[in-house]
Amino acid sequence: MRLGIMSFAHHHAESYAHALSTMPDVEFIGIADDDRARGEQYARQYGAPFYPSYEALLAERPDGVIICSENVRHWPLVELAAQAGVNVMCEKPLATTLADGQAMLDACEQAGVILMTAFPMRFSAPILEVKALLDRGGLGKVLAVNSVNQGQMPVHHRAWFVDKELAGGGSVFDHTVHLADVLRWYLDSEVVEVYAQTNRIMHREEVEVETGGLLLITFANGTFASIDCSWSRPLIYPTWGGLALDLIGDKGVVNVDAFSQNLTAYSNTDQPAWLPWLSDSDRAMIVEFMAAIREQRPPSVSGYDGYKAMEVALAAYRSAELGEPVVITH
Amino acid sequence: MKIGIIGVGAMGGTHADAWTHTPARIVGFVAEHFEHARAMAEKYNAQAYPDLASLLPHIDVIDICTPTHLHSEMVLQAAAAGVDIICEKPLARSVAEGQKMIRASKEAGVKLLVGHVVRFFPEYVGAKRAVEAGQVGEVAVVRLQRDVFRPRKTVGNWFLDFERSGGMILDLMIHDFDYARWVAGPVKTVFCKHIGDPETSPGDHGLAILTHENGAISHVEGSWAYPPPTFRTRFEIAGSGGLLIHDSDASAPISVYRHKGGDGPSSGSGEAAGDVPVPASPLLESPYATQLKAFYDHLRNGAPLPLSAEDGLAALQIALAAIESTQTGKPVQIKPLPEVA
Repeated sequence: MRLGIMSFAHHHAESYAHALSTMPDVEFIGIADDDRARGEQYARQYGAPFYPSYEALLAERPDGVIICSENVRHWPLVELAAQAGVNVMCEKPLATTLADGQAMLDACEQAGVILMTAFPMRFSAPILEVKALLDRGGLGKVLAVNSVNQGQMPVHHRAWFVDKELAGGGSVFDHTVHLADVLRWYLDSEVVEVYAQTNRIMHREEVEVETGGLLLITFANGTFASIDCSWSRPLIYPTWGGLALDLIGDKGVVNVDAFSQNLTAYSNTDQPAWLPWLSDSDRAMIVEFMAAIREQRPPSVSGYDGYKAMEVALAAYRSAELGEPVVITH
Repeated sequence: MKIGIIGVGAMGGTHADAWTHTPARIVGFVAEHFEHARAMAEKYNAQAYPDLASLLPHIDVIDICTPTHLHSEMVLQAAAAGVDIICEKPLARSVAEGQKMIRASKEAGVKLLVGHVVRFFPEYVGAKRAVEAGQVGEVAVVRLQRDVFRPRKTVGNWFLDFERSGGMILDLMIHDFDYARWVAGPVKTVFCKHIGDPETSPGDHGLAILTHENGAISHVEGSWAYPPPTFRTRFEIAGSGGLLIHDSDASAPISVYRHKGGDGPSSGSGEAAGDVPVPASPLLESPYATQLKAFYDHLRNGAPLPLSAEDGLAALQIALAAIESTQTGKPVQIKPLPEVA
């Protein structure tokens, strides 16, 4: 299957490129990037051709593209791909406004191409294991969830992450969507109310977006869940951050940590580090994208899922501004 | 220093044992049922009294370990008798009661000390000291978690009677409301969600977001929804300059795995739990003894304490606001109290 990557603005593109360049049934047809130097550098690194324009890459008629631009530029790139009749996996958050998100859903539907949102937690082995436990009723009805997706302030990954114009927001936008999606999937219910408080105490001098955020959200089925989306991992920390949930069911409690499968490494010269040995969820996510293309079916995690998760993050900003819970109507 | 203890449940028994690590002497017990007071009196070589009024003339300090709804009346009675008072947390069942208790103690010239024992647990004290030393810089996001099982006394389980105990939010989450205030300052707003219907849930579970006056935010989880013998605490304090993390599971120095039938818990201490969850990590001095030693030193020679009755009142106010938020579905603003500067 012939796949390409549009833009390396998001550092997850590196992981996807690694997967594409090592998967036996993939022809990694190339990389297009509006930052030519960046695109050429990664093209060399992963042994793939570089295309000077997105149109040139799409003219090669790939089976699918993975879009890793800045969040605000997802929509124009998705539009290009849809017009070219090419299937899309788009990095999260899907878009920065509901209007852009809706336009992406419409464009892909009209063009008859797949729009998948890159939510790798749907393919995390521990997260999947708990999904199976819930589906067979092992926890009974889930009543409440305490969840965290904290990380390091990402300006050192990519500067645009902390630029509201390009990213759509700060820690709330960056980190709410993964858990909002996992919770919608676990609970099979939509979010109806969002309460959020945010602040900018950590890294106040360096960034203008919020760095601390706590959400308490309620689902249509009555379950409530908190999300800590803070960039509260210091710059010297064994890893980038993590994602974990404590689920309270009427039959018991489950704690799941998607990133606990690490070795702890110490040395005479460096800070302690965690060396992950967890299963590669990014690769599994690309396998699903390819399967959906091959079987001409909707992917297990859709553009609509990306849209609904973004909707929760946007509601969190409104709630934080109002100091009141905000209702989401469906 | 002559001590009287009223209330001989889980906390009365814990305090009685802790007092033996101080120079003070327990001289009398009062209990709801006289025979329970007599059993404790025999164990600690003291007298059993039928009621508080008959105990008060014999003591310097009353240690009140009764259900929450009884605190107010007993504190007022002790203050009127000129006896110094130690009152188990929560200070009272309502803010008005708490205010009255503080006023009465001041007017009577007696001390009123509140048993917020978490302020004496070494992991919590250590984090507070680290925050004060600038370890995390300016506090930004605090996470506090306390997961235990539903108290399961077979008779007289007042914990499960909302009118008497205020339920899990007032009895359990108040610890972390107090601690949040201690490390991140006064609280401005509380938003809380809670489950606790005995028909549909295995135990109470609550999640709260506190907004502090200085802009810090805190996430507090309290739970009676874990199976016995769970007593797990976790916290994180993240700030402009760093992060502190505690996890009682990660720091547990002993794990015991027993061969036994069935699928019961196989790790942890391997011991059966009591009726009421009480935390235990091996320490040479129990935090309850540390607390009562500090109270003893304060009463004896005015040694400084890490909390005042007003702090107990402020924690009570946050817990009651959290309960109100669960009922209205809205965030609740904390109104400044004249007692709490």
